[in-house]
Amino acid sequence: MNTTNLYQELIELHKLTEMHEELEGGFFTVVRHYQAGIVHRPERIRQALREQDPERVAMESHSLKSVCRQVGLQNMGNLAAQLEAMSATGSLQDVEPLVEQLIASSVVASQELTRYCHDMGASRPFQDKEGVNEP
Amino acid sequence: MARILIIDDDEPFRVHLGTLLRGAGHVVLEVECALHALDKIALDPFDLLITDIFMPRMDGFELLSTLLRRHPRIQVIAMSGGGSGMTPALALNVAKKLGANELISKPFQPGAVLQVVDRVLQSAAV
Repeated sequence: MNTTNLYQELIELHKLTEMHEELEGGFFTVVRHYQAGIVHRPERIRQALREQDPERVAMESHSLKSVCRQVGLQNMGNLAAQLEAMSATGSLQDVEPLVEQLIASSVVASQELTRYCHDMGASRPFQDKEGVNEP
Repeated sequence: MARILIIDDDEPFRVHLGTLLRGAGHVVLEVECALHALDKIALDPFDLLITDIFMPRMDGFELLSTLLRRHPRIQVIAMSGGGSGMTPALALNVAKKLGANELISKPFQPGAVLQVVDRVLQSAAV
């Protein structure tokens, strides 16, 4: 697989293209906010799982689902939707593999959003060594 | 130009909508929870509210009911990607019955949001 073009497979790019056209100069700032959500929400879900709090897992998954789908990360959004539905039942049985899958997906998604924004001409570093910069 | 209040517990959506609507020339304020929104509206008039539905503490349904009792003339756009076992369509239908003027599904199309906002503001001006 050509990793340079991974974002073309991972992201429904027409969503980002349309966002870019509408927001022009504000586009990269807005994407940074979405990217921060994609990185930090799965960590919050993992924390809520550790604390055995299904309501918080459901709420964080709900947010992650919306954020992912807005920037065209349909598969990751679907994983979050699955987790939302499972935790909304009040049980956290069997959700841990899904949470770990979301964590792994978020790392790749963030890297590919960074790559996409660099390719689109983002004018300042989009990601620091520790992960996502605060927008 | 209109004064618009955005209510969404998800920061990326607030920033996205705020950037979009400011770019269209509106004055925009963003809050993360419905309770803060009620406080803001009590202090300042707004032409239009855009509210998410599924939020912690007070959801968009409760906000709509409370808001339209206190400010029956205010214009409201409800938006949702579904949640709590409700599809987006069902959640938005309930919001419509509670008095929302227009509905936006998440994920939203930026161009469509601007059209909906213009339509609501124009109909309110008539």
